[in-house]
Amino acid sequence: MAGPGGDMQWCFSQVKGAIDDDVAEADIISTVEFNHTGELLATGDKGGRVVIFQQEIENKNPPQFRSEYNVYSTFQSHEPEFDYLKSLEIEEKINKIRWLPQKNAAQFLLSTNDKTIKLWKISERDKRPEGYNLKEEDGRYKDPNTITSLRVPVLIPMDLMVEASPRRVFANAHTYHINSISVNSDNETYLSADDLRINLWHLEITDRSFNIVDIKPANMEELTEVITAAEFHPHQCNTFVYSSSKGTIRLCDMRASALCDKHSKLFEEPEDPSNRSFFSEIISSISDVKFSHNGRYMMTRDYLSVKIWDLNMENRPVETYQVHEYLRSKLCSLYENDCIFDKFECCWNGNDSVVMTGSYNNFFRMFDRGHRRDVTLEASRENSKPMQVLKPRKVCAGGKRKKDEISVDSLDFNKKILHTAWHPQDNIIAVATTNNLYIFQDKVI
Amino acid sequence: MECAFDAQNLISISLRKIQSSRTQRGGIKLHKNLLVTYVLRNARQFYMSKNLSQTQRTHQYEDVAAVREKQEYLELTGSFKELADDFYCNFTGVESDTWHCGAHQPNDQPAEVAHQDASACAMVSPSDSDLMVSEACWSCVDKSSWELPIPNTQTNQKTVLDLDTHVVTTVTNGYFHSDCCAQPKQPQGAQCYAKKRKMDTSYHIVDPEFYLPDFGPVPCKRMRTDDESNLDSDQLDSSNISNLISVLGSGGLSEFVSWQQTDLEQIFATQTICLKHTLLTGSGWTRAIEAF
Repeated sequence: MAGPGGDMQWCFSQVKGAIDDDVAEADIISTVEFNHTGELLATGDKGGRVVIFQQEIENKNPPQFRSEYNVYSTFQSHEPEFDYLKSLEIEEKINKIRWLPQKNAAQFLLSTNDKTIKLWKISERDKRPEGYNLKEEDGRYKDPNTITSLRVPVLIPMDLMVEASPRRVFANAHTYHINSISVNSDNETYLSADDLRINLWHLEITDRSFNIVDIKPANMEELTEVITAAEFHPHQCNTFVYSSSKGTIRLCDMRASALCDKHSKLFEEPEDPSNRSFFSEIISSISDVKFSHNGRYMMTRDYLSVKIWDLNMENRPVETYQVHEYLRSKLCSLYENDCIFDKFECCWNGNDSVVMTGSYNNFFRMFDRGHRRDVTLEASRENSKPMQVLKPRKVCAGGKRKKDEISVDSLDFNKKILHTAWHPQDNIIAVATTNNLYIFQDKVI
Repeated sequence: MECAFDAQNLISISLRKIQSSRTQRGGIKLHKNLLVTYVLRNARQFYMSKNLSQTQRTHQYEDVAAVREKQEYLELTGSFKELADDFYCNFTGVESDTWHCGAHQPNDQPAEVAHQDASACAMVSPSDSDLMVSEACWSCVDKSSWELPIPNTQTNQKTVLDLDTHVVTTVTNGYFHSDCCAQPKQPQGAQCYAKKRKMDTSYHIVDPEFYLPDFGPVPCKRMRTDDESNLDSDQLDSSNISNLISVLGSGGLSEFVSWQQTDLEQIFATQTICLKHTLLTGSGWTRAIEAF
């Protein structure tokens, strides 16, 4: 793999989605996820659809290495539902997609909306049987009396057909809105988290789940925080973490007790009192938590920063990266237009040396941990010529604006990158703008 | 962008957000509304501290610590607890003398003075600060905690803004004179009241899990202890109320504020009509907001 983000140049590879400026709400991308090999890239949208892209390697001989992702399968995962008892509509928006490790020819993924998780099997069919004894080629049944001999049906090639079928539906276990799902390293269980509870499921059992975390107070008046994200440790099947709206992360060990309300570790950084504001609670709320691939670190994203935590040190993060500190003086307006509630995700690269997260104006940021460098790039149609190198962008926080810099007041807060994903092995990234999916790859110098 | 920071505006914006969340697709977002209540709390504490400083300058009969405790307890009570059956916020947050919109000041100096003049923030928001609430009605689901008696012998008053009728009424001795619903059953230890409000059980749902058979009964609201009740003796006198109203009035509440004692029956009838309309339209339940 090429060097860390600071040495690399990122090139435009592809963009998926409509070109129209008028964005249909159903087309808004709500989640992006590579599978474990990186061959498949899944997106979910607000309309409840899942679109899977497959990597077609045109020419893998270096230095011209170009990986192209083409549509592999599209299916409607969730439909809008109505809870008649509570008079509430349940959105079909796909909140999260998580791939299962591949065990056989078929691929499996979990997709979830606010209330229901589904296990989908994506399988290929490129052969069809021919030569039935009892059926005609068009499917009509033959008269058995006319059959005088028997033959063995044979499989003949056909055009590739990709089928997506729901294999399991895990429903009725969450009162509040599901924000996370995470597959365990044991490949048998997974967790789902809503605002107040985390449930443990077995992939084969749909009619029950174990509640492993419940932070709902006996008296709802005493509610002070909610669960915002949860994830299993990549190697330790007994360990998971969940983040809260108060900016804390709790690591729990399922061996300690059946109900993991008591954490094993609590990661929390004291608030800087000089930064205290009306919006302190909002900007400290953690929107995403991700373990590093090696399992030694975890990364959290709050509104203004990305923090890297060493699992062995609870009192403060080992690294903190400011994503868009220039927004700190704009919190008032961002509160008014609801942008302050945006939930940005973050991701690691394959060897945990670089982290990435999104921002506004279709900017996204990469932080090279080793070289202590960061870069701001933009996903836009203007920079979408094949293999066009992305130029680093800079935001002018104050003072005299230099050439090619963008002032904070010029940022488009309607263009936000909330969802990003990094190929597990290669330097290929998927960046979701509102309704477009950009794929960038590194240019080998 | 320029934003004229104003705690009043924040309060009105926050209330509007809470209101609009009621009609959002997908139901109330617990996380977002919890965060909004934190902003509300912070803004209210800002006003409390402002009024406290005014009180200290002009009145001498209040012990500051007692007033602060009472003001802080005001955060613990009131209709913020009743805002939704999905979320509540424990208002035991830190009181801060310095509030700012988040602008990082050089040399780590908080810009408290500038913010009191609503001019420190670099942005101006075009928002109007009216506390206008459109269609949906607000009514309390469980007023039992509000109905608990205040053993303190001193008369205490609270100001309640009802978003249904847009009427501000005065609560005496911790008992609301004007609201649309009441719990017929009293929490343990509560006194009997001279006036009881009828409860409409058709909308008495406080918890989504009420519907789930696997869960136990809906937990009762935590009863205020005597200690807490003692703290609830709000010493707002008429001049303080006037000050608050003038502050709120400048923020756009003036068209909704009425200091005249409103006829109970009239309010009840209005709210009942509103409530019925709400139920028919399927929005569920309504709320009254306690303001200061």
